[in-house]
Amino acid sequence: MAEVILENICKTYGNNFRAIDRLSLSIEDGEFLILVGPSGCGKSTALRMIAGLEDITSGSLRIGGVDVVDMPPKDRDIAMVFQSYALYPHMTVFENIAFSMRLTGKPKAERKKRVDEIAKTLQLTSLLDSKPANLSGGQRQRVAMGRAMVREPAAFLMDEPLSNLDAKLRVQMRAEITSLQKQLGVTTIYVTHDQTEAMTMGDRVAVLKGGVLQQVDTPKRLYESPVNAFVAGFIGSPSMNLFEGTLTGDELTAGTFAIQLRDAAFARRPGLRSYAGRKIVFGIRPEHLYDSSLESGRKYQTIPAKVTSIEELGSEHIVHLNIDAVRVDSGDPDAVRDFGLASNAVAKFEPESAVRSGSEIRLALDDTKLHFFDPETHLAI
Amino acid sequence: MTRQKRSRHRLKRTVAPYLYLSPSLVIIGLLMLLPMVTVISYSFQNSAVLRRDPSFAGLKHYQAIFADPVFWASLWHTLYFTCMSVVFHMTIGMIFALMLNSDRINPTLRNILRVLYILPWLFTAVIIAVIWRLLLEPNGVVNSILMQLGLIGSKIEWFSSPETALHAVTFANIWAGYPLFMVSLLAGLQGIPKDFYEAADIDGAKAYQKLIFITIPQLMPIIISISLLDFIWTMQVFPLIWITTGGGPIYSTEVLSTYTYKLAFSSYNLSQASASAVVILLISLGLTLFYIRYQKAR
Repeated sequence: MAEVILENICKTYGNNFRAIDRLSLSIEDGEFLILVGPSGCGKSTALRMIAGLEDITSGSLRIGGVDVVDMPPKDRDIAMVFQSYALYPHMTVFENIAFSMRLTGKPKAERKKRVDEIAKTLQLTSLLDSKPANLSGGQRQRVAMGRAMVREPAAFLMDEPLSNLDAKLRVQMRAEITSLQKQLGVTTIYVTHDQTEAMTMGDRVAVLKGGVLQQVDTPKRLYESPVNAFVAGFIGSPSMNLFEGTLTGDELTAGTFAIQLRDAAFARRPGLRSYAGRKIVFGIRPEHLYDSSLESGRKYQTIPAKVTSIEELGSEHIVHLNIDAVRVDSGDPDAVRDFGLASNAVAKFEPESAVRSGSEIRLALDDTKLHFFDPETHLAI
Repeated sequence: MTRQKRSRHRLKRTVAPYLYLSPSLVIIGLLMLLPMVTVISYSFQNSAVLRRDPSFAGLKHYQAIFADPVFWASLWHTLYFTCMSVVFHMTIGMIFALMLNSDRINPTLRNILRVLYILPWLFTAVIIAVIWRLLLEPNGVVNSILMQLGLIGSKIEWFSSPETALHAVTFANIWAGYPLFMVSLLAGLQGIPKDFYEAADIDGAKAYQKLIFITIPQLMPIIISISLLDFIWTMQVFPLIWITTGGGPIYSTEVLSTYTYKLAFSSYNLSQASASAVVILLISLGLTLFYIRYQKAR
């Protein structure tokens, strides 16, 4: 067990493409850190650099206080779980888990004892003689975990380990991995593009975009106070609605409507006043928009909106809306999918909501939950 | 009416696949099964082909070839020639495939090597035989190089001395045949997921351990099927030996195919030649059945 410290790590490929730009992260002993970001953001590259599967162009990397930049993977005292699991198809579950011990020539009795222990923890005992091809996705995932655990590493590295599972199993394995990590107390770095995994599993989440670290914080703080529009849009599902507006006095105007801001909003953001008379980007999460005809929405001010389509999920309605304001792209490629072509806003309504597709409604909005960003830098105000 | 239509439709559906198959079945029957059956029947006749009304000979011709020491020598040479060829085809093919698959070699060089290594495959058996006859001439390139290196003291008559002839033809055949293994194994190597090696790297596997524990087991299906096919093909090799040594000197490179050919077209003993051909057929059949069973088991 050990802390993992990355300092100004860079990765530049031969064609001068910079995959990772001055990444600094400090992962405490026993911490569960999630690396998240859209595809191509460099999160897997970062993990593979920590593992030693990719060279580090510059910067320093210490695992358990030891500088490992020039060490081969095996000497870094880490274990990795691959997206594909990388189980050897010609070996049984037992042989797969015992592989690293076989390489180092550990005696048979010791191998058996150790594998039996791990199989018991992971409920694999009855499957030890099976080949990977005969296992279900979840079982294979557990074997991959077992193969990592057997080495008793200082840190676990996991590269999208749940992305090959179906949705239901993913929920189950999410809980299993989290509790296993707590039980073992091993420092874990977990890469995913799934922000639900990011929000539910980790102690802290590091958001990456284009090889640059955007924010690293607890899931709750990422959700409540994103440092920029990208993090705001990336964390949360559906994504935060972001629009262009103008600040005049205590009023935020966009298109044909205006939102009254309270003193508390200015008190919390000392910089906000300086945007008076200027363009500003404001954001609101779908869960902070309400149907004004329902009890929950009565106490908020309203703006006009047109319903374009509704997804009824049973527990809630995802309502796609069109409001008279210019939508701002947060830079998250997945966010575009949430909106589609016809609508520029998404709201989460209670299932009691009776709004219909095509109707003009008054949309209630909790102005205390508004987020503000600089229109140029997209940094939070 | 409708019932009639329906039954006619059903008949069409049952017959159609056989109609589609029939041209190929007729060709296989005429060109493969018929000659095979004819040869088998010849092997039980006296003076087959030569006489109009050959008499039944029983197992006489089989007894005759089994009593012939040259037959046993041919059988042994065939086995030696085949086993050595297959083993070295595989070893050389594997080494070259591993080299071509390695990313430590410059890509341009790799492409050039790929073409060079595959060259032997482009030549027909006759060309290969002629090339090696020229190279292994007593006054040829090989002897001259070996002498300059001081490895041999005097010129060796590779194809003309009974001690070296069998090794020489085997060598030529190894040279001619490894590309099949190389190409198949290279395709196999490229199909092994990179993750396997990365996981092994993290577990601390050394290069030879990766070869033993990952590469070879992953290639096993290819190794076994190509080896079996190579065994079946090499056993029947004729032109290479016929053109280089003709089975000599003093039967030292006589293999079952040249032995059979000589019985048929030098001694005109077509009945015994047929018996010998049937022996080759049986050995090949055994191997083929083994191959088919292996393929089915997979």
